[in-house]
Amino acid sequence: MDTIFTRRTMLAAGAAGAALASTARPSSAASLTAGDVIERMKQHIGGPWREGGVDGYKVGTPETIVIGVATTMMATFDAFKAALARGCNMVITHEPTYWSHPDTLTYIQDDPLYRVKRAFLEKHNVVSYHLHDHWHALKPIDGINAGTMQLMGWTKYMHADNQRLFTLPPTTLLGLARDFRNKMNDRTLRVVGDPQMPVRIVYESWGNCSQFPGAQFMNSEADVLVIGEAQDWDLVEYAQDLVSSGKKKGLILLGHVLSEQWGMKYCAEWLKGFVTEVPVKFVRIVEPYWNLRHPAFELNPKI
Amino acid sequence: MATTTAVAPANSMFRVQHTGPLTALQIVDKIIAQSGASGRAKTVDRITAGDPTAAVTGIAVTAMATFDCLKAAAAAGCNLVVTYEPVWWLDDDSLDRMEGDGLFAAKRDFLRAHNMVVFNFHDHWRDRAPDGIAAGMAKALGWEGYIADMSHPATFRLPPTTLLGLAKELHTKLGDRTMRMVGDPRLPVATVAAIWGNAEQMATIHLLNGSADVVICGYTHEWEAVEYAQDMVAVGDKKGLILLGDIKSVEGGMQYCADWLKTFITDIPVTFVPVAEPYWNPADLG
Repeated sequence: MDTIFTRRTMLAAGAAGAALASTARPSSAASLTAGDVIERMKQHIGGPWREGGVDGYKVGTPETIVIGVATTMMATFDAFKAALARGCNMVITHEPTYWSHPDTLTYIQDDPLYRVKRAFLEKHNVVSYHLHDHWHALKPIDGINAGTMQLMGWTKYMHADNQRLFTLPPTTLLGLARDFRNKMNDRTLRVVGDPQMPVRIVYESWGNCSQFPGAQFMNSEADVLVIGEAQDWDLVEYAQDLVSSGKKKGLILLGHVLSEQWGMKYCAEWLKGFVTEVPVKFVRIVEPYWNLRHPAFELNPKI
Repeated sequence: MATTTAVAPANSMFRVQHTGPLTALQIVDKIIAQSGASGRAKTVDRITAGDPTAAVTGIAVTAMATFDCLKAAAAAGCNLVVTYEPVWWLDDDSLDRMEGDGLFAAKRDFLRAHNMVVFNFHDHWRDRAPDGIAAGMAKALGWEGYIADMSHPATFRLPPTTLLGLAKELHTKLGDRTMRMVGDPRLPVATVAAIWGNAEQMATIHLLNGSADVVICGYTHEWEAVEYAQDMVAVGDKKGLILLGDIKSVEGGMQYCADWLKTFITDIPVTFVPVAEPYWNPADLG
């Protein structure tokens, strides 16, 4: 890739869009609140709405009037700018707003970036709702898994008795890695195992996966476990050792964002089924990293 | 014992000249004492596999006691493995969930068959003054002349470069094929701060807010400090973050550990065992 984009070039565009969005409030939708949207989600999730997890309002209140809903994988600053530029002030995010799974604020009260991000969101009347646990609990299929299998064209390969298992047309570990790279535009995915290893059965654990239960997934009938991220001294070492012990196994790490964000695209489609007064958009976020083969820090060109 | 009325000469039993072969435990005690670190209330440093009384034939020093590493150590005639990262795939080498795990049994049986002992040497090496991993990484990178503060040799004032230039230098010097960067490749870089190995969320955030243009780490969670670095870039802060992968970010520190052990263990061979980079990227295979 020849062109090097920087986020700064998009900052101006994002801010301009945000200003536009905050002044353009369609009067017909003035009555829809964030609380209305969440209540409808609770009706459609297909199971109980449990307290105690990480899900909930991280910015804004249920009373906030919603002019548009954006779903996104991770509530980065960029994601908020893009959402506002596209006329959405309610962001439903799978990953945190404030840089830790439970959005812990204790240690970041005086953090300069926390203050800037919070002020920006308050100024633009933004609601950030963390939808992690319940989206994984969507019935009949985990919402993240549903979106990722749609992207991969794997819906017909899913095992009837375990939605995390897929039997694919025969390929190799390298072939499967290339398929992910091409369909997810994933430049920085990383693989453990013999590239020529034959692959038919894949176990998914999109997002983070630790040694427990990852080791059990790797010891299942699956040839390959595909995940978002893991720690090198934990599941990754386990995978290396399985290979070293002679087992024909592979582990693919797609990156956390790229392994799950298709599930939030699916979330936008799901929301459109019962949120019709305002626009519902999916905000794709960029691959968080670059590598030496592709030294470009890309931005979402759709912002 | 409620009271002590007669006290033997301090440590008298240890003053007796030891005539038998050195045991793993004796060497481990010596390493801990030589580190000079006081030890943490809760530490991961201990013998995590093998018989502490085994006679040591050779010492292998490594970043991570992978199965491959154990095979290489055994082939080199070493039966004591000094490792920075765990042998049993968890920070604290917990075996709570390993019952019935076939790989655990295979690795354990290999260790037994070769009369091997594994010593997890992590906290004391980091708590040594200066930090053994930091000192070794500075050596491995040839950055000793750029150290900003000798008491904590993990901040460097480098000749001016860019984030891309720095990444290329690390790639070349560490042989790192799968490192990942956050930030503008053209970012001007002069000050670099490192958290070798695992980078905790708040420690990384603090460094990113300091004088460093770039923070280098082994690994940090994508939903924590990686997101934070992205957000800094998104508001115009001139910052970058490099994730080397854990092994590449500490291995120089364990190479240095092997050299250090040789300064006080002279009657038993000490060998550094490198660990292969765990990953490949399909783009590198055409």
